Amino acid sequence: MYLTFIVFLPLAAAIIAGFGGRVLGDRGAQLVTCGAVITSAILSIFAFYNVALGHQPEHVVLANWIVSGGFKVDWAIKVDTLTTVMLVVVNGVSCLVHVYSVGYMSHDPHKPRFMAYLSLFTFAMLMLVTADNFVQMFFGWEGVGLASYLLIGFWYKKPSANAAAIKAFLVNRVGDFGFALGIFGIFLVFGALDFATVFAAAPAMAGKSFTFLDHQVDVLNTLTFLLFIGAMGKSAQLGLHTWLPDAMEGPTPVSALIHAATMVTAGVFMVARCSPLFELAPGTLQFVTIIGASTAFFAATIGLVQNDIKRIIAYSTCSQLGYMFFALGVGAYGAGIFHLFTHAFFKALLFLGAGSVIHGMSDEQDIRKMGGLFPYMKVTAILMWIGSLALAGIGIPGIDLGFAGFYSKDIILESAYAAHSSVGFYAFWLGIAAAFMTAFYSGRLLFMTFHGHSRADHDVLHHAHESPQVMLIPLYILATGAVLAGFVFYEFFVGHHYAEFWNGALTVVDENVLEHAHHVPFWVKLLPLVMAVGGLAISWSFYIDNVPKWARLLGLVAALGIVGAGIAQGDGGLILTGVAALVLALVFYFGRTGAPGTLVASNQALYQFLLNKWYFDELYDTLFVRPAKWLGFQLWKKGDGKVIDGYGPDGVTAAIGFVARRARVLQTGYVYHYAFAMLIGVAALVTWYMLHSGGGH
Amino acid sequence: MIEVPALLPALPEIILAIGALALLMLGVFTGEKSLRTVSALAVLLLLAAAAAVLPGYRDTVVTFGGMFVSDSFGGFCKILILLGSALSIIISVDYLERENLKRFEYPVLIVLATLGMLMMVSSNDLIALYIGLETQSLALYVMAAFSRDSARSTEAGLKYFVLGALSSGMLLYGSSLIYGFTGGTSFSLIAAAVSGSGPVPIGVLLGLVFVMAGLAFKVSAVPFHMWTPDVYEGAPTPVTAFFAVAPKIAAMALLVRTMFGAFPEISDQWQQILVFLSIASMVVGAVFAIVQTNIKRLMAYSSIGHVGYALMGVATGTPDGVKSVLVYLAIYLAMNVGAFALIIAMRRKDGATESIADLAGLSRTRPAMAFALAIFMFSLAGIPPLAGFFGKFYVFIAAIEANLTFLAVIGALASAVSAFYYLRIVKVMYFDEPADAFDVNTGRGITAVATVSALVTLLFFVFPAPIVGAAAYAAQSLFQ
Amino acid sequence: MILQTITFYLFAAITIAAGFMVIAARNPVHSVLYLILAFFTSAGLFVLIGAEFIAMILVIVYVGAVAVLFLFVVMMLDINFTELRQGFLQYLPIGGLIGLALLIELIMVVGVWQFGPEVAGHAIPQATTNGMTNTEALGNIIYTQYVYAFQAAGVILLIAMIGAIVLTHRTRPGVKKQRISSQVYRDPKTTIEVKKIKPGQGI
Repeated sequence: MYLTFIVFLPLAAAIIAGFGGRVLGDRGAQLVTCGAVITSAILSIFAFYNVALGHQPEHVVLANWIVSGGFKVDWAIKVDTLTTVMLVVVNGVSCLVHVYSVGYMSHDPHKPRFMAYLSLFTFAMLMLVTADNFVQMFFGWEGVGLASYLLIGFWYKKPSANAAAIKAFLVNRVGDFGFALGIFGIFLVFGALDFATVFAAAPAMAGKSFTFLDHQVDVLNTLTFLLFIGAMGKSAQLGLHTWLPDAMEGPTPVSALIHAATMVTAGVFMVARCSPLFELAPGTLQFVTIIGASTAFFAATIGLVQNDIKRIIAYSTCSQLGYMFFALGVGAYGAGIFHLFTHAFFKALLFLGAGSVIHGMSDEQDIRKMGGLFPYMKVTAILMWIGSLALAGIGIPGIDLGFAGFYSKDIILESAYAAHSSVGFYAFWLGIAAAFMTAFYSGRLLFMTFHGHSRADHDVLHHAHESPQVMLIPLYILATGAVLAGFVFYEFFVGHHYAEFWNGALTVVDENVLEHAHHVPFWVKLLPLVMAVGGLAISWSFYIDNVPKWARLLGLVAALGIVGAGIAQGDGGLILTGVAALVLALVFYFGRTGAPGTLVASNQALYQFLLNKWYFDELYDTLFVRPAKWLGFQLWKKGDGKVIDGYGPDGVTAAIGFVARRARVLQTGYVYHYAFAMLIGVAALVTWYMLHSGGGH
Repeated sequence: MIEVPALLPALPEIILAIGALALLMLGVFTGEKSLRTVSALAVLLLLAAAAAVLPGYRDTVVTFGGMFVSDSFGGFCKILILLGSALSIIISVDYLERENLKRFEYPVLIVLATLGMLMMVSSNDLIALYIGLETQSLALYVMAAFSRDSARSTEAGLKYFVLGALSSGMLLYGSSLIYGFTGGTSFSLIAAAVSGSGPVPIGVLLGLVFVMAGLAFKVSAVPFHMWTPDVYEGAPTPVTAFFAVAPKIAAMALLVRTMFGAFPEISDQWQQILVFLSIASMVVGAVFAIVQTNIKRLMAYSSIGHVGYALMGVATGTPDGVKSVLVYLAIYLAMNVGAFALIIAMRRKDGATESIADLAGLSRTRPAMAFALAIFMFSLAGIPPLAGFFGKFYVFIAAIEANLTFLAVIGALASAVSAFYYLRIVKVMYFDEPADAFDVNTGRGITAVATVSALVTLLFFVFPAPIVGAAAYAAQSLFQ
Repeated sequence: MILQTITFYLFAAITIAAGFMVIAARNPVHSVLYLILAFFTSAGLFVLIGAEFIAMILVIVYVGAVAVLFLFVVMMLDINFTELRQGFLQYLPIGGLIGLALLIELIMVVGVWQFGPEVAGHAIPQATTNGMTNTEALGNIIYTQYVYAFQAAGVILLIAMIGAIVLTHRTRPGVKKQRISSQVYRDPKTTIEVKKIKPGQGI
């Protein structure tokens, strides 16, 4: 019963606040939505305790939705460990964002609408994660898409927000088309759409193929590939990622909730949910790994050079989603979901922190116009530091103590390494590179925003202030999560309690790669840390003038120490790590504030390439948008206007109108005409029968 | 010596008959001011009858010497009819009071007409069929002329009466032919007579044609539809609303009952007639409506078109077809009651208006009303995901599965044409310069009915299973 | 037997001829009179098959009440019948054609009149009178087998009555009526005023 409340409280709140906003007033709408979602969040934690820790999966059928021949779909709530993890993430972040919004949107005239949208989004997301069949999942999938569209375009008077909303919707449509095709295909192949039936029947379909254009195509590979296209769109993976950075046009709480913590992870969730299918489709899994790793790397490179505080975090989100996907691709579903879980904390923290900065800086988003803000907003700065350290994955390997990201990112990289496949290694090395860049741009963001000299306008700086408590309290909670989530839940998600925690919610066909991940060489664990510390250190030296000499020397010493340890143990990997560390330490040692400028000047082409986001938008513009526009224009003017309208609707309309006006004359109003028409009708029918039956019998 | 026939299966009819008498007495003794009381009691009475349908819903029982059958098909239709009648009364009262038609006979006549409809639905014999039909029709004739000081209303009543008498004549003539050639009036006897080997006597077919002509008049299928626009336009609007809903459902149910009850073995014969009627109705309903300027006339052609779609479902001759017809009727009920509630609400200070042009700019003067009417128009046009779409959808599917694809294609084309005039109303409401605003005081009954039916129309797709499931179950009872 | 046959054909022929004349007669009063003739001959046909009760009812109700009412109505209405007839010729060709077609088809049907063997078994239920009078037999069946139809017919008549009242009844003001109760309860105090008049002054 409480499960139903979890899902439908936000809907009720959305309806009340959305339609009754004028009656309730701002405060009322905020109270209703926050109250509902907070209740929902508390119940979610209860559900997590019952289901995930108590090992009692639940399945509630609410109603039959569609029954048509063999096609049967229910409204149902399926709650297993995977769902409860998502419930906690979605409702947890959502309730914090709701509360945060009360402060953040305090100057906005449309508060009830905003709160209603947020709650509506929460409901759709909950429908998605509690679905027990593909159709309900699709309902939620489109529901979050709708809510995302509404919220990105919340400031609908801003043209760029409108454009971003439309872009998000359209790009998602490409993915959704794949997803829908996948669902159609599943119904075609399995004759059912509820997870239980499909997953049970999946092993029998393994290796089966069908003929398409004279080629034998593997059934499950095709289906999962199509599903994954949907996940790519929703989770902004390489190729369909272009909407995510633009989506930052929406209010910052929206970015935190939808475009960092929850909606964009729907793709990850979907792949994990369909693990019984994906596991039987090795081809797709390789594709997932490659796309995930490439996205992780590619988004990180762009993140290096962005100047908008929210865009940096957005690309970081994109990159982190890549990590999750390649974890799924190598079969480490637990690791992928674990990263989803921890990422939700620190990425929401970063976004809300960024929102706090923007709020305090009179809506300034360009980090080039910030700097030295630490004294003005100490709390926000410290919280942003915590979030960034968690994102960079700082922690101590060996004794396993660190921020949340440390546990989840490292287990992903270890799994990729432990997969011992070519795509696994591809993912591992790109992941390592991305780890370095992640740390670098996180450091860059922090140093340019909070430290060094201020580059802000005097006026702005004069008004710079710390945010109110209503915005900070959610940040405290998230920061707690960013610090502790990894340490507390590591054993459950990926460690010793893996089997009983997941309780069959995730399926692995071959040996569990996570088993191997715990037994990788030490240097594999160390290397990400080296990269993370290196990235932070280099950004320090690049953006801050007075880095103390001892710190520079300490870097060199530490790197040499690793090399030494490697040589002492005769461990090639460790030596390699040491060498990498040494390179980074040297850059750190010689790094000065002029270095970024010099680098940009000497690599202008590369810089422009990154700054323009690998020219993806331009490429799509030339490849799709312009031709489509041209084609559409031609079809509209020539095809539709002249040919179809001319001979079709307009012609037919004219003809029908003509007939109708003529026919109207028949309706004279005289009773005997009417009676006569009836008699003619009868006579005609009778005659027809007489002729038809051959004159009777 | 003589067994008393089982009365329980006819409980809803008995309730209505006795209730109508009681209401009549109440009205006579309290005078004309009792319209509201009598109306409220009539609504309760109809709902009580609907409740009385439920206990025997699942069983097929024949009583009164085989004249009367109670089964789930009948139950489904009866509930629709009773609901339709009750809603019609609810939306009528305010109008009657305003237009100085405050007469307690109105709800009583509706109850009596409804009684006739229930008898039609349950008839299992040509005599019962005819008697039910006349009970209904006579009440309807009177209601059409209810505004007796208006020339248009009396003309409508008279036209309806004369043509109705002609159709009754045809029905009786057909019945006598069938009786003559099969030797029985009971449906089961007729069915037995025509199911034997060898060719069906042409006399039976001829009788069938005449009977169907009589029934087609009642559902206003082309070419027996000519009365519909005139009567719809002339009759007082609440009467039109009633005409558009309950009698249509009853007549359609009666048609289904007769075809599947008395002539199940020669479905290939009557299918030909129904296909013709269906095509003609869909086409005429779509084309003629385009040039209408009066919204009641427009709704008349609209209902002719919708009858065409429903007939398509009957023409399939399959359980799925009957199911689709029942679903169609249920949806049709919701859409039409709502639409007519709003048409009744079209009034200015100087009285009711009926012109489509009067709706201009309604979205600005009465946004909620315009929105609701837009929902009904979109639904009538069959735009997904509104209920009207599903009605057509099920019918088309049934037609295609019964190898009547061409019929479904014609239906789709007619549907496209008809979308024009439905959407024109939406266009007028939303994009034209506002005309004078309507009276704000709509009346609670109308608002409630319009809201509920708009919600049903809008949200049918979320929860179609109960109606579709019940319809399937009801359809099955005809094929045992 | 032969006498019966002759009588049947005689009555039948007159009925059809009279029926035709109802619609063909120029004067509507004549039409009604032909209608009455048709009723009478039909009653004769009923007598022939031994349904004397129905025959008498036909005469009493239809001839005695309905047709005479018609006659009054027709005589009271002021209708220009020549004008009504103008359309007749205009529609005669097509109307005649359709009528003819229907007639031929009906004849074809009747021409092939034959019962299937399985139909003949339950054809034409014969009344088992057992020496009962016609009226008694009818009563027996009306209140048992056909009670449903009989009661429903009652409802129809009720509706007709309500309809007639609804459509025509008006409460007219100023109608002079005798109200016996008010006459009886008339009181001298309210109706008689006693004026004192002084003698010799007049009024």
